[in-house]
Amino acid sequence: MSISTGKRLRPQLDDQPDVASATSKATLNGGRRGVTQRNRPLWLLAPGGMMMLLIIVIPLLIGLYIALIDLDQYTLRQWMATPFVGLANFIEAITETSLLKAIWLSVSYSVLSTLLTVPLGVAAAAATQNHFRGRGIVRSLFLIPYVMPAFVVATVWQTIFQPDGILNQVLNTQGTLWLNGPNSYWALVIAQVWSAWPFIYLMSLAGLQSVDHEVHEAAALDGAMWWKKLRYVVFPYLRGPVALACLIGTLHHINNFTLPFVLFGVPTPIDVEVLPILTYVTAFQSLRFGLSAAMAIVSLVLIMIPLFIYLRAVKLDTTEEPGGTK
Amino acid sequence: MKSVRSLAALLAVAAASVSLSGCGGGTAPQGPVSTAIDGKGQTLNAYLPADSVNSEAQKAWFAEVGAKFKEETGAEVHWETFASANEELTKIQTSVVSGQGPDLYGIGTSFTPTAYSTGAFVKLDDTLWSTMGGRDKFVPAQLGISGPNEDNQIAVPLATDPFVIAYNTELFQAAGMDKPANSWDGLVEQAKKLTTDTAYGMAIPYKDNFAPWKFIWGMSAQAGNPLVDGKSVSLDDSSTVEAYETFFGWLSNDKVVDPASVGWNFSQATAEFASGKAAMLPMASSRIIPTLEKSAVAGKVKFALLPTTPPGETSRPSDGVEAASIIGGTNLVIADYSQQKHLAAALIKVMTGEEAQLSQYTKLGILPSTKAAQDALPASNYDYKPFLEAASKSKATPFTAAWSDVQLAMTNVVVQSLPELSSGTLDRAKIKQRVEEAQKSAESAVERIKG
Repeated sequence: MSISTGKRLRPQLDDQPDVASATSKATLNGGRRGVTQRNRPLWLLAPGGMMMLLIIVIPLLIGLYIALIDLDQYTLRQWMATPFVGLANFIEAITETSLLKAIWLSVSYSVLSTLLTVPLGVAAAAATQNHFRGRGIVRSLFLIPYVMPAFVVATVWQTIFQPDGILNQVLNTQGTLWLNGPNSYWALVIAQVWSAWPFIYLMSLAGLQSVDHEVHEAAALDGAMWWKKLRYVVFPYLRGPVALACLIGTLHHINNFTLPFVLFGVPTPIDVEVLPILTYVTAFQSLRFGLSAAMAIVSLVLIMIPLFIYLRAVKLDTTEEPGGTK
Repeated sequence: MKSVRSLAALLAVAAASVSLSGCGGGTAPQGPVSTAIDGKGQTLNAYLPADSVNSEAQKAWFAEVGAKFKEETGAEVHWETFASANEELTKIQTSVVSGQGPDLYGIGTSFTPTAYSTGAFVKLDDTLWSTMGGRDKFVPAQLGISGPNEDNQIAVPLATDPFVIAYNTELFQAAGMDKPANSWDGLVEQAKKLTTDTAYGMAIPYKDNFAPWKFIWGMSAQAGNPLVDGKSVSLDDSSTVEAYETFFGWLSNDKVVDPASVGWNFSQATAEFASGKAAMLPMASSRIIPTLEKSAVAGKVKFALLPTTPPGETSRPSDGVEAASIIGGTNLVIADYSQQKHLAAALIKVMTGEEAQLSQYTKLGILPSTKAAQDALPASNYDYKPFLEAASKSKATPFTAAWSDVQLAMTNVVVQSLPELSSGTLDRAKIKQRVEEAQKSAESAVERIKG
């Protein structure tokens, strides 16, 4: 027996008239254009554009400028007259600091944390998809780690990870150091996974709720059992939301400052000297603002790579959707 | 293209306004000032560290000082507090860059050299000193970190916070001793006698971000090594390596410290001492007294000076310094961009006046920084004399703009050594290797000093 794919099990969408296509054809034939393509009131975007300019573009440009000058505690007062050093800060950041190691640590721990949160989040979403008594309470409880402030999460895990803390008591590993040495990396991953899996759960839940009832019925009529239903019906629907959740989650982990800062303090053990911590120490302990800005720019570029790939993929995807603008 | 031009124009306007306001701050008039300052209709902005434990009492103190200030000058004070050094530094940065912000800052003593290096704070001249009530009213040692020398000072001590040893008198008596020794070796021998099945000799916060470097600095200074002298850095001196060995050895060799302390900050070490499970708590300040008064050791605690004889010695070498404590506490500095510098000096006069200093002690438990207020301290459940003695014998950490990096490098040696300390594999070679890394880091910071 062959099971229909998710795409084939969407007759109601396939049966919809292709509105965009029709509109496009009407336009090409010189007919009436849609309101979005005629006399566009683009000025309505001005407030949003101004906000973006003030909140994103100008600080970004200032950050870029700071990365190109020798701004530190000695030149802070005359920062407009600070010597321009070109790419020297970037070169120093890459060749003379632990930036590359910090990038590796940030990316590896972030990807690892995301990979570990996916099965947890999807399983939790699947487990709470069908109605059962107390489902609302369970769903609320699942969100607790996500809604707790990062500072509180870090403080709680710091207590758990103490040498005489509860984790060592449970594991019978008295005295083991979790907040220093190689174990600190795993401590960071554990705390991050604990606080981040509900995000995957939320996105998975949203994906599951978008599966039409008819699709489940069709799969049942085809005789699909739970695993095949999950594999060939539900998972294809989850692919988009979970991929987006993975991307956002990973970027959030890379940028997460509070968790490692509160968990380990400064100076941080070398095994968890992640990018935000290194940038912070350079700016606020060594007071080398130019060098720190260069590190921040590097981290921005780092974050933009997967974001760009994803946005490209989404753009390609939406053009195939009915109503998508080509 | 048009949008690019608009953006460029906007940036130019923003930059011009920033630089103009900066100029405004830099050219503030500084003419001679009469003793009586008329500040009627003016408001002064003061930015001070928050007392998170006694926030209501701190507000009451602010109100009291503000009322007195208004009575004397006619001006109001707008008080603002910060919870962390990070918050304060961000404020200083934005204010310095924009030329607008608080007129008066309260900063940590060890941050003063860094603040000095920014050039963003007023160098105190005779007129300002006079407005503040004179230099002589302060305990001389407390001015040791106000500037590189007496002619170039930017800071005035608001509060004294020296470090001493807290010790459990009951455990000391049980072991047949009366008070802590004045040498580090003697202290370890005492700690060994005090270590029993129910208590350790000392509570040490190995994972604290601030305490460990103070031990290392103190032992090194007592051995004659200032760590930084001008452009010369001597972190890799054998005296400093020995200081680290001693510090780590309390746990690994002497076994006078709870092994769990590799994960403790100072609060956790204080909790251990307060529960009666440790006989001594070195590097304690008077701020722990409220905690001790509510603890199992209430009434059984006394304080003594930290040892001033370096490890491995029976007496201090001739070039050694009697460093009983770093100069701890809060310094007041006036922003260079302030248009009300003399009014700020008048507020400092009120804040460091005997009445306000005693009120600060009564309300917040903070020791005064002036001679008159120290002499007039009221009776207390605790004997404050060791704190006052430690304050008078406090020594300044090197007055270098690179101190922040040096301090970080010194603490980093401890942080990166904790796994080996915990597993019992930390040896002199590894300590030396990390100290050499710290030396390079400190040298690099010192080389970057400008001006």
